[in-house]
Amino acid sequence: MKVNTLFFRKSIVAATGLFLCLFLIVHLSANCLLLLPEQAARGMYNAYSTWLRENPLIKVVAYALYLSIIVHVVYALLVTIRNRKAKPVSYAVNHTEANSSWASQNMGLIGLSILIFIVIHLANFWARIKLGLGADVGVDAAGNKDVYEVTYALFHNIYFVLFYSLLMIPLGLHLHHGLKSAFKTLGFYHKRGLEVLARISLIYAAVIAAGFGIIPFVVYFK
Amino acid sequence: MTLNAKIPEGRLEDKWRNYQTQSRLINPANKKKLHVIVVGSGLSGAGAAATLAELGYDVQCFCYQDSARRAHSVAAQGGINAAKNYQHDGDSVWRMFYDTLKGGDFRSREANTYRLAELSAPLIDHFTQQGVPFAREYGGVLVNRSFGGVQVQRTFYARGQTGQQLLLAAYSQLYKMVRMKKVSLFTRHEMLDLVLVDGKAKGIIARDLVSGALKRFAADAVVLATGGYSRVFRLSTLAIGCNGSAIWKAHKRGAFFAAPSFTQIHPTALPQSSEAQSKLTLMSESLRNDGRIWVPKQTDDPRAANDIPEEERDYYLERRYPSFGNLAPRDIASRAAKERIDAGFGVGRLKNAVYLDFKHAIERFGINTIQDRYGNLFDMYKKITGIDAYREPMQISPAAHFSMGGLWVDYELMTTIPGLYAVGECNFSDHGANRLGANSLLQASVDGYFILPNTINNYLAAALNKEQVSTDHPAFKQVEVEVKQHIDRILAIQGTKTVDHFHRELGKVMWQECAMSRNRAGLERAIAQIKQIRADFWSDVKVTGHSDELNTELEKALRLADFIELGILMCTDALQREESCGAHFREEFQTPDGEAVRVDDLYAYVSAWEYDQGDFKLHKEVLDFEFVQPSVRSYK
Amino acid sequence: MKVTFKIWRQDKPQAKGAFKEYQVDELTEDMSFLEALDHLNERLVLRGEKVIAYEYDCREGICGQCGVFINGRAHGPHPNITTCQLHMRSFKDGDTIVVEPWRANAFPIVKDLIVDRSAFDRIIEQGAYISAKTGTAPEANAILIGKAIADRAMDAAACIGCGACVATCKNSSAALFTAAKINHLNSLPQGKPEAHQRVLDMTAQMEREGFGHCSFTGACEVECPAGISIANIAEMNARQGKAQLLG
Ligand SMILES: Cc1cc2nc3c(=O)[nH]c(=O)nc-3n(C[C@H](O)[C@H](O)[C@H](O)COP(=O)(O)OP(=O)(O)OC[C@H]3O[C@@H](n4cnc5c(N)ncnc54)[C@H](O)[C@@H]3O)c2cc1C
Ligand code: FES
Repeated sequence: MKVNTLFFRKSIVAATGLFLCLFLIVHLSANCLLLLPEQAARGMYNAYSTWLRENPLIKVVAYALYLSIIVHVVYALLVTIRNRKAKPVSYAVNHTEANSSWASQNMGLIGLSILIFIVIHLANFWARIKLGLGADVGVDAAGNKDVYEVTYALFHNIYFVLFYSLLMIPLGLHLHHGLKSAFKTLGFYHKRGLEVLARISLIYAAVIAAGFGIIPFVVYFK
Repeated sequence: MTLNAKIPEGRLEDKWRNYQTQSRLINPANKKKLHVIVVGSGLSGAGAAATLAELGYDVQCFCYQDSARRAHSVAAQGGINAAKNYQHDGDSVWRMFYDTLKGGDFRSREANTYRLAELSAPLIDHFTQQGVPFAREYGGVLVNRSFGGVQVQRTFYARGQTGQQLLLAAYSQLYKMVRMKKVSLFTRHEMLDLVLVDGKAKGIIARDLVSGALKRFAADAVVLATGGYSRVFRLSTLAIGCNGSAIWKAHKRGAFFAAPSFTQIHPTALPQSSEAQSKLTLMSESLRNDGRIWVPKQTDDPRAANDIPEEERDYYLERRYPSFGNLAPRDIASRAAKERIDAGFGVGRLKNAVYLDFKHAIERFGINTIQDRYGNLFDMYKKITGIDAYREPMQISPAAHFSMGGLWVDYELMTTIPGLYAVGECNFSDHGANRLGANSLLQASVDGYFILPNTINNYLAAALNKEQVSTDHPAFKQVEVEVKQHIDRILAIQGTKTVDHFHRELGKVMWQECAMSRNRAGLERAIAQIKQIRADFWSDVKVTGHSDELNTELEKALRLADFIELGILMCTDALQREESCGAHFREEFQTPDGEAVRVDDLYAYVSAWEYDQGDFKLHKEVLDFEFVQPSVRSYK
Repeated sequence: MKVTFKIWRQDKPQAKGAFKEYQVDELTEDMSFLEALDHLNERLVLRGEKVIAYEYDCREGICGQCGVFINGRAHGPHPNITTCQLHMRSFKDGDTIVVEPWRANAFPIVKDLIVDRSAFDRIIEQGAYISAKTGTAPEANAILIGKAIADRAMDAAACIGCGACVATCKNSSAALFTAAKINHLNSLPQGKPEAHQRVLDMTAQMEREGFGHCSFTGACEVECPAGISIANIAEMNARQGKAQLLG
């Protein structure tokens, strides 16, 4: 049977988005290790990242993750293109603030800033640690790659600290709108449930954005 | 010419069945060779077009709006009557028939009125099946409410949007047939004239409102379903585009116009607040179920409504009509309001309104119940006036609302032109001199869904093997030329006054002299004044733009030109009828305490006017009351 | 009161349009917004100019024919009303009021402020009905429908088809319109037999007409004169999923 692109594309964006939301929880929990005192943080953080790199199951998940990001972006792009075509002329005056949130009106733009962030983020870590590009990564006392050191060095550059923290604002906005929207896109319509969902989305987005946003500062002041 | 209503033989209960068993049938394979034009996509038009198409006819349907869903049936709020007797309160087909006949002050045909009541119950079944979300009890059965003029609860409703829900069902059914390629729908097309060939209705000339082009459409029969013409008063509860043009043009081509002056003035509309006003919004009559109508006992009372104590309020309907009280029929309630307002007891800024108060109902049932029943009406009131009616009484005022008059039709809904039918509000059939609330959605639907599809075959059977006329026939060409000349004439005037100016003038005269109460001197004056307006219009109107483009001003001008002529006929009809009946109240014919005096031995007929080169010739269809005895209509 | 209207004028679908300014005085606060435009049009006629084309019919908020973008909002500054229900008391003396037609690829401009919304009708055509013929209905009370279900169906059925949802949506999505109709019919027992096909066909037409995706900005439910809840779209999505899998 023919699938309806209006639903199909949005469902793909929603499903990949939800998967990425799950991932962010795991990511943040791991990053919380950075909040521990210097010694403990270094050891546990490095051990954890080594485990991640070597666990075959995580490898599969990692590929799913890369794929999700790509698919999320590509489909969001397709959606945006169609949406632009659907509204070829915009209004001379348009007070969208009176009927909707700024984030919901600008998900594409916000998404783009997050994409740029991800590229830089990957260059900072993934490229160095996994692909071995750039300066060599040392090993810690336990023989694990010293990922902690990479983080520590990065977050002692105030520009990176600011970049990493500030970009959590669009992330928060994206998650806040994206999470509730994804559930609705996938057909969740229970009336009370939607009210709860709205609250959960807010809490979730705030925790993720604040959590990721604080860490660079904590490391900076270590 | 003697008017033959073609009432079938037999007892009232048997007439419709007898008719159906005797009318001619058409083989399904042949129906698709027959073409029917339906002008109008309201409940009557959409219902007829969809049902005729289901039966196999090839149908072309027209409306002037951008979509069939916008026909003014959409605006009906209150409900639709049916003799289901779900409330076990003694209702029956007979009682509904009698209420309708009595409500119309015995100026309609028994057989038609009976058929209306008889077909009401299956109509509710039909709409329920079509997915109309009628109001329901917790247990799942349908709910009823009561409506003016009757003592049983037989009104079905869908919140405050009954007309909308019924129309959307009809519109959807129409689109189902569009999808099946059985109906061709022409939106934004306005019928400007009727084409006759050998005295039979064979087509129409319509203007494509977007391109301005005149187009010809031919068929074996033409059905008019163009709704009411109360916009002749300019200020009314009707939509701005509602017009009398289609039926007026048919009238000028030979269709008799019946009881044109029978116009219902609705008691519960919002009062006019300025000269520029274009429309009077109706507040559903159902509000009278729980609201109480009053004015202060003292004239020009300066106090706010809530500051006036109980004993200084005059609940005049309850006082004058103790058994029906606030549920007195519309004509009576309107006239009573006019009487109080004229006597100086009116309220509101222009002193042209009366109060409709929910205080007692809220005390009795609680605000939630009232909200549940009328929430959207209270919201609407607030949007328009800015006033919260849960806290202070609404201000209401009478407004022109419904045309009982219309093209004369026989029992088969055929006009005096063979092959031309009229259904819904644009015909004169079942409501007599006054229509009961919630009876006209019923009439429009029953006409379109049940009656016409069972009568048109009787005519079309004969058309089957005749040669069909095409739009190349000279008659089409000639009518098209006439229409074009008419349009060009209007555009050529380039005078100094706008169309709206003339419409306001016409409206004032009509409202003053031909609305709730009428008298000889006033009507004679009105006829002279309207003739003057007509002369001025044709010499001094200014319409800009061209005929070959979308031109809303031209559309208005064409409609007004017909309204002006119709206004003259309405006054002529009112002048002729020297009695008071239903909505027609002649001041010369009233009792000392102001009640109507009906004159049955002279006026128990339907006036049917023939157009005669600018003049009107009266024909009478005498009403035989075989089964009921006309009584004095009392709601005391 | 006196205001300046800045109004989009466009003679034909393909013509290039532009804003034109008009000073209008002698207005009163009781006038409706459309009556103010009527008033302006009368002045234009007297000056020998072509009138501004805009739509309306019932002027009481139910037919759905009126609808323009007023000062950056569909149907003007208030939520949940139609253009014809807007009154001049919502503006101040001396205001400039910018009036634009609905903007959407699927709603091409016909003239000035009038757009073509027949795409909605074509969505309806694809199944917003119960295919039972006149004369085949069972007794109305034979099928019981609980009040809650009937009320919910009515909530969805209240849509007036004005197009404000599409107009205000940054994606010109027709999801609210389509969802309202689907949910009305599919939630009633009468609509069940054709439920899946209805969803598939109507949404397919929505796609063909060139409307955008719904991204749940929620603007539509704020501007919708009938107050149709956006939860309807989520419900339609659920029905869509079910229909794709089962239908
Ligand atoms: C505000 C209001 C509230 C009402 N409330 C109730 C109520 O609660 N209960 C009740 O029973 N009745 C009520 N009525 C009366 C009832 O709604 C109407 O009598 C009935 O709906 C008329 O239906 P119709 O099909 O005859 O005409 P309409 O629904 O008016 O349809 C007329 C059709 O004809 C078309 N048309 C007209 N002229 C032309 C032309 N020249 N060329 C082409 N097409 C044309 C229009 O486009 C439209 O499609 C109410 C009426 C009003 C005004
Ligand atoms: S004119 Fe009918 S809704 Fe505004």
